[in-house]
Amino acid sequence: MIRNYLKIAMKVLLRRKFFTFISLFGVSLTLVVLLVATAMLDHVFAAQAPEVLGDRTLGVYSMTMRGPESIWSGFAGYQFLDRFIRPMTKLPSVEAVTFFSMPGTGISYLDGKKIESMVKHTDAEFWRVMRFNFLEGAPFTVDDDRSARFVAVINEATRDKFFGGQPALGKTLEVDGQRFKVVGVVPNVPILRISPYSDIWVPIGTSKTDAYKRELVGDYTGLIVARSRADFPQIKSEVQSRLKEAEALIPDPKMYKHLDGGADTLFEAASRLFLPGDSETSHSERLFLIFAGLAVVFMLLPTVNLVNINLSRILDRSSEIGVRKAFGASSWTLVGQFVVENVVLTLVGGLIGLVLAAAVLAGINASGLIPYAQLSLNVRIFLDGLAIALFFGLFSGVYPAWRMSRLHPVMALRGRSV
Amino acid sequence: MIRHLLKLVWNRKRTNALIILEIFFAFLVLFIVGTLGIFLWDNIHQPLGFAPKDVWTVAISMHQTTEDYDPNQAPAFLRLLKETQGLAPVESVAGAMVLPYSTSNYTGGTEFNGRHIRADFNDVTEDFAKVMGLRVTQGRWFEKADETTAWEPVVINETMARAAFGAESPIGKRYGDPGKDKNADRERRVIGVIREFKKGGELSAAGNYVFQLKRLNPLPAGMKATSLERPPSNLVLNVRPGTPVTFEEDLAKRLQAVAPSWSFEIKPMAQMRASAFRLALTPLVVGGIVALFLMLMVGLGLIGVLWQNLLQRTREIGLRRATGASRSDVHRQVLWEQLILTSFGVLLGSVLVVQIPLLDLVGFIRPGIFLGGMLVAMLAIYLLAVLCALYPSTMASRVQPAEALRYE
Amino acid sequence: MIHLEKVSKLYRTERVETTALDNINLEIAKGEFISIMGPSGCGKSTLLHLMGLLDEPSEGTVALDGKAIDRYGDRELARVRNERVGFIFQQFHLVSDLSVADNVEIPLLYRKMPNKERRKAALAALDRVGLSSRTRHFPTQLSGGQQQRVAIARAIVGKPGILLADEPTGNLDSQMGDEIMGILEDLNQNEGATIVMVTHDPRMAEKTHRVVRLFDGRQVQ
Repeated sequence: MIRNYLKIAMKVLLRRKFFTFISLFGVSLTLVVLLVATAMLDHVFAAQAPEVLGDRTLGVYSMTMRGPESIWSGFAGYQFLDRFIRPMTKLPSVEAVTFFSMPGTGISYLDGKKIESMVKHTDAEFWRVMRFNFLEGAPFTVDDDRSARFVAVINEATRDKFFGGQPALGKTLEVDGQRFKVVGVVPNVPILRISPYSDIWVPIGTSKTDAYKRELVGDYTGLIVARSRADFPQIKSEVQSRLKEAEALIPDPKMYKHLDGGADTLFEAASRLFLPGDSETSHSERLFLIFAGLAVVFMLLPTVNLVNINLSRILDRSSEIGVRKAFGASSWTLVGQFVVENVVLTLVGGLIGLVLAAAVLAGINASGLIPYAQLSLNVRIFLDGLAIALFFGLFSGVYPAWRMSRLHPVMALRGRSV
Repeated sequence: MIRHLLKLVWNRKRTNALIILEIFFAFLVLFIVGTLGIFLWDNIHQPLGFAPKDVWTVAISMHQTTEDYDPNQAPAFLRLLKETQGLAPVESVAGAMVLPYSTSNYTGGTEFNGRHIRADFNDVTEDFAKVMGLRVTQGRWFEKADETTAWEPVVINETMARAAFGAESPIGKRYGDPGKDKNADRERRVIGVIREFKKGGELSAAGNYVFQLKRLNPLPAGMKATSLERPPSNLVLNVRPGTPVTFEEDLAKRLQAVAPSWSFEIKPMAQMRASAFRLALTPLVVGGIVALFLMLMVGLGLIGVLWQNLLQRTREIGLRRATGASRSDVHRQVLWEQLILTSFGVLLGSVLVVQIPLLDLVGFIRPGIFLGGMLVAMLAIYLLAVLCALYPSTMASRVQPAEALRYE
Repeated sequence: MIHLEKVSKLYRTERVETTALDNINLEIAKGEFISIMGPSGCGKSTLLHLMGLLDEPSEGTVALDGKAIDRYGDRELARVRNERVGFIFQQFHLVSDLSVADNVEIPLLYRKMPNKERRKAALAALDRVGLSSRTRHFPTQLSGGQQQRVAIARAIVGKPGILLADEPTGNLDSQMGDEIMGILEDLNQNEGATIVMVTHDPRMAEKTHRVVRLFDGRQVQ
């Protein structure tokens, strides 16, 4: 039966080239937009190398000192992390804790040419939480960090820029007037993966001054790796109570009274960043609502378009439907035939969409718009795409099929009255 | 005739509902892109207020927390200024807390005649106006002597002058109602007005802007220290036209030598300008491309649907021809019906979209911009609708009445 | 009033050439009520369409009110159809999405006329066919006979002088058919309408002044 349906479907689609073309165009275009968006989100939020532990990681990202008249917001300060978050390693639910700075621009001059690199100060634990595949050497150690040794791990792009792609292990490079010895080389990390991203990673101890040690709000991020996601609520409330404790350390209590922040998943943190507001809990929801709203508008348009086209395709064939009904086809058989036809169409459109999306992603990667972007379609995104295509196929076929099943055979044979 | 067609379209609402829905969504998409486009277009046509040409910037990381005030910083910064000013390619140099085209902001609000007004602030040194080419339209810019006055002089832009003082001249007026200006340590007074300073660059909207003068030189005895004594974290310098890029390394070395514990990031302002443009235009370009494809898709869909509709109405068309409709009457009828359908969709969309300015959902965009976005969306959607109707309506006008009315 | 001289009509498809009408000569005077008879496919409807200016003859001339129409453009043809001819069809051809009154108004839409007058004329025409109580109904809510009466009202609303009826009773039972026939006779006698009616039904043809018979596109009598 299905084979018969498929055969009829292919024939019909080949015969009605105009409508087939519009449907295919619509489906593939919609999928391209959705797949590219999915790939980007996947790229930012999914747990993948080097953030293999991303699924059970909470971050202390943004922090705010708040007073009656003044607000000072930034990232977490090292002092806060060191005194209040580091001891959390002792908790049974916490597997590891690591701190690192936001990447800052480091300037080097090599043979009269300027080289800009992103420099990130990290602790040694960073290399246990982020699982990089070392191309050369190894990460720096706890001892390196504590003794403030001028050692650095660099990425491939930096090795190319400084050493022309030659092995870099043991060589030195100068950044912002400081000389570092290269101890390891790792692959490039895309900027969209904000926690691991950098060009050069150096020990926190090599910072130019020790001012960072006194900051409650600064430019550091702390990541807390939980044993399991089930521990998130407990860790979150622990961080909240430690924030309360830290309020005692606010240097200017007249100006600032409260320390706001918390341990967030990356998605929660992103929503905090995009939607600064007063209420603390509703951020993710609001971000989600705005994204959902835009997605609905941009997705409903092609859907309605497809429903319209499908309806036209059916009514265009009302006389065929009339003949089939007259010869004993039940409404359900016809609905089945039409839905199969529609799903075939959307799946073909989906495949075209996948190819186009791959091309668009390759284009984004090549354009350098996003540094070190490695946007690609993986099995997960492919399955998402397939699901989306199926959804469109079914959704845009159901209403027209229902309308069709209600066509009276005599009316259908005659076409509609004037 | 229009009434007749309105009735016809209304009575066919079940068939037409989906088309109206499609036009409604298409209108929303066009509105989003149109509003964003007009917003940026409008911004470009507002004066920038400064000249970014041949300006270089130096971002300084002092690796010092804002919590502890190091009295050695200000003298070090002054040494930097002096060193830089002495270099041959440099025409003038100044310090600034916030750089043009940067994404950082320093915002404060206070009350003027009981109304709360927010403004962006920038603390700069004396030569900032010279480096950036600011145009003073009333009063004057900061002078050396302003660093030691007992009150705090401020220079504001015209937008701020209008917002805070209306038509009155702001010169000599107090900045903020007495007792309400809690952000400053001393009473602030307006000494000058500049035409404009759009910190975000050409593509950003004009807003209220206020300059304060840094007090880096030693103060007379007994004067209380304030945050204005902390050095700003950026240098802006105006280089002579044709200065080679190699000067950058030279400058970096000189700066590093004066303040070894600080880090410096030198960038021509043109580069910051380029990335600010990219940041603002990328969403528009991406949205525009997606919208373009969506419209192409909607257009093809509408042609198909309309064609199919007319095919089913062949006999109606034949009948109209028999009762005296000419080809062009049929042509016109199809176009009018399409316009009426489109109007229904546009009406629905407008009712929804007009809530955004009415409820002030997106504050930083003026209601006029939304209106412009709506008009652009309407124009585009009507154009699309008519273009899509042209071919099917031509087909419809070619219907042979004798053929159409032949009994089946 | 209607004058056909040596009129022939050929239909050409890719290979086949069909002769629908062959050398028809016909003169219809003002106020006449004639019927055209013949078997299916003999060209009756084609003849009616030619008289109604819906189609052009392949050869010969069609003249209306003494004026040959072969040099008319589309706009002029439309105007003449609108002012001089009213059509009645076997399938009624009412627009199902328009109310009865709106259907009747259609011919008047192609004339310059205020809306109010248009509505007045439509109601008068409906009154003339005895349907003044059904003006707000939709065609599907009416019986076949009532639908045909709406179609007649639509045909006479513009006071065209010529009515062309293509099997007006073909879809109706005999009682309804008689009713429709009665209205047509009344229009012919009391309003001086010239009526050309294509019919299968000899009973109906008997009631007209003259019968033209066609066979395979030729006039046999």
